[in-house]
Amino acid sequence: MRPIDLFDNYLNKKLNVNEVIDFENQLRSDANFAKAFEQHKTLVEALNDNEKRNSFKNKLKAIHSQAFGNDAKIISIKEETTAKRYVKGFAYAASVAVIAVLSTVAVLSTGGYLLKQQSNQITDLMREMIDLKASSEAVSVAIVEGITKGNQKAVYAPANLEGSAFALNNKGYIITSSHMIKGADSVFVQNKSLERTLTEVVFINTKLDIAILKIVNSNATKAWDVPFSFNDKATDVGEKVYTLGYPRKDMVYGEGSLSSLSGYSNDTTMYQISIPVNPGNSGGPLLNDQGNVIGVIRGKITGAEATGFAIKSNEIFGIISGLANDSVKAELLNLPKKQTLKTLKRTEQIKRINPYVFNVLVYKID
Amino acid sequence: MSKTKVQFTESQFIDGLRTGNSEVLSVLYKKYYNIVLKFIVNNSGTQEAAQDIYQETIIVLYENVQKPNFELNCQLQTYIYSIAKRLWLKQLKKNSKTFLFKEDGENDLVDVGSEISEHIDKEADLEKMNKSLIELGEPCATLIKDFYVQKLSMDEIAEKFGYTNADNAKNQKYKCLQRLKKYFFEILPVEQIERK
Repeated sequence: MRPIDLFDNYLNKKLNVNEVIDFENQLRSDANFAKAFEQHKTLVEALNDNEKRNSFKNKLKAIHSQAFGNDAKIISIKEETTAKRYVKGFAYAASVAVIAVLSTVAVLSTGGYLLKQQSNQITDLMREMIDLKASSEAVSVAIVEGITKGNQKAVYAPANLEGSAFALNNKGYIITSSHMIKGADSVFVQNKSLERTLTEVVFINTKLDIAILKIVNSNATKAWDVPFSFNDKATDVGEKVYTLGYPRKDMVYGEGSLSSLSGYSNDTTMYQISIPVNPGNSGGPLLNDQGNVIGVIRGKITGAEATGFAIKSNEIFGIISGLANDSVKAELLNLPKKQTLKTLKRTEQIKRINPYVFNVLVYKID
Repeated sequence: MSKTKVQFTESQFIDGLRTGNSEVLSVLYKKYYNIVLKFIVNNSGTQEAAQDIYQETIIVLYENVQKPNFELNCQLQTYIYSIAKRLWLKQLKKNSKTFLFKEDGENDLVDVGSEISEHIDKEADLEKMNKSLIELGEPCATLIKDFYVQKLSMDEIAEKFGYTNADNAKNQKYKCLQRLKKYFFEILPVEQIERK
């Protein structure tokens, strides 16, 4: 038996009386053994402390948003369903666990895919959710039902694909990548301020890899005040840029600079950026120092870790302007004009932008 | 924002925190938030900063009431306000902003220096574990937590992660733990690892 197994058995009280005596004797007589045991104990304690602390923090956050709302100044969503309240309690922790497991597998699996693909091509950065067979049999039962007996749990099914998206304007329109939406049965968006909500696909352009969604529940977007505007003027190489997205459950910030005014194989509809982007970043906004959106994250070159590509925002508006349906076009082009972020520090910009960047959840029918 | 019907005495707050009573925690949280919010916002902080500082304050309070010899020698409000103030001062200093502190005079202060420094040490330790787990990656991090925190059995872990049997799962756990140890004790330690 390895010492570690022995330590675990001792700590978990799985040794019989004689074994315990032997163990404790060895602790007294063998200094190295005792030292290794102390170290092991420290590690196990740290693991447990860490977990306790994280769950306490989540509890406080839940209390806060329940009592005072999240970013109440910027966006307030009144709609509170019973399911939502349950999610905040137990099920919240459960869903975090599920998503953590699933997203890991997704990243790993995409990683494997990258290795196989030798050719230089753009990798779409959606997070593919693989059905983890045994991992969460128990959870997936709860998932299908939404709320299970004991009416404590409301856990949502893990999406087939996940990615990022951001608000286009105050009317509830959202931009994301079309490669995620392809073949979707339903598409949801969510973030810390917006409880998971259904969207409908308004417009898809696969050539540019752009999709526009609209949040179905107009109450959810009533209080929207999109803080960024879109920059359609030429942008300079070397300009500092950043992105926000959901390569994992929590929003992740990435920064770099604009490397080139053309994308993969001189595609002038795209920028090349020096931001390491990951699966899940697709569809996120590319912002400049003033907090203006200059593009939408598209993908990266297979194997090149710190090179990303973003579709230029003026290309997107070119396509929208060419739409035949005038009423839709008018509504889509009703863009925020204010440059409220210009004078703010990056951290403050991000706080304002936060509620308008979403995690996209795509469900497909097998 | 709304008035809560439930009222607790200060010792009920302390006892409830100690035993992890969710209702007590929730009422306490709501009761003192505005004091801290007002203080932070008056001292060049945002609402978001106030939320962060307040939550950290509650964590410090929570940590301290767990101590068997904890004794509150002032009003709970004074204690909370003093902790929040120290934490905010620390953060302002860290950001090396020049700032003017507005003493509002409404709130008394008590010395919470030892609480704060203890908290900072603990926070650094927890952060080290957080980082170690991130470095460790998946599936290791989940596997380790499942065994040591969730106390799943090796059979359950084997089934969950798709290992053919408990022995394989155990081997995997062993490898993961060795790596975690490396990160936690060798690679990441910035400070002393021995507690005490």
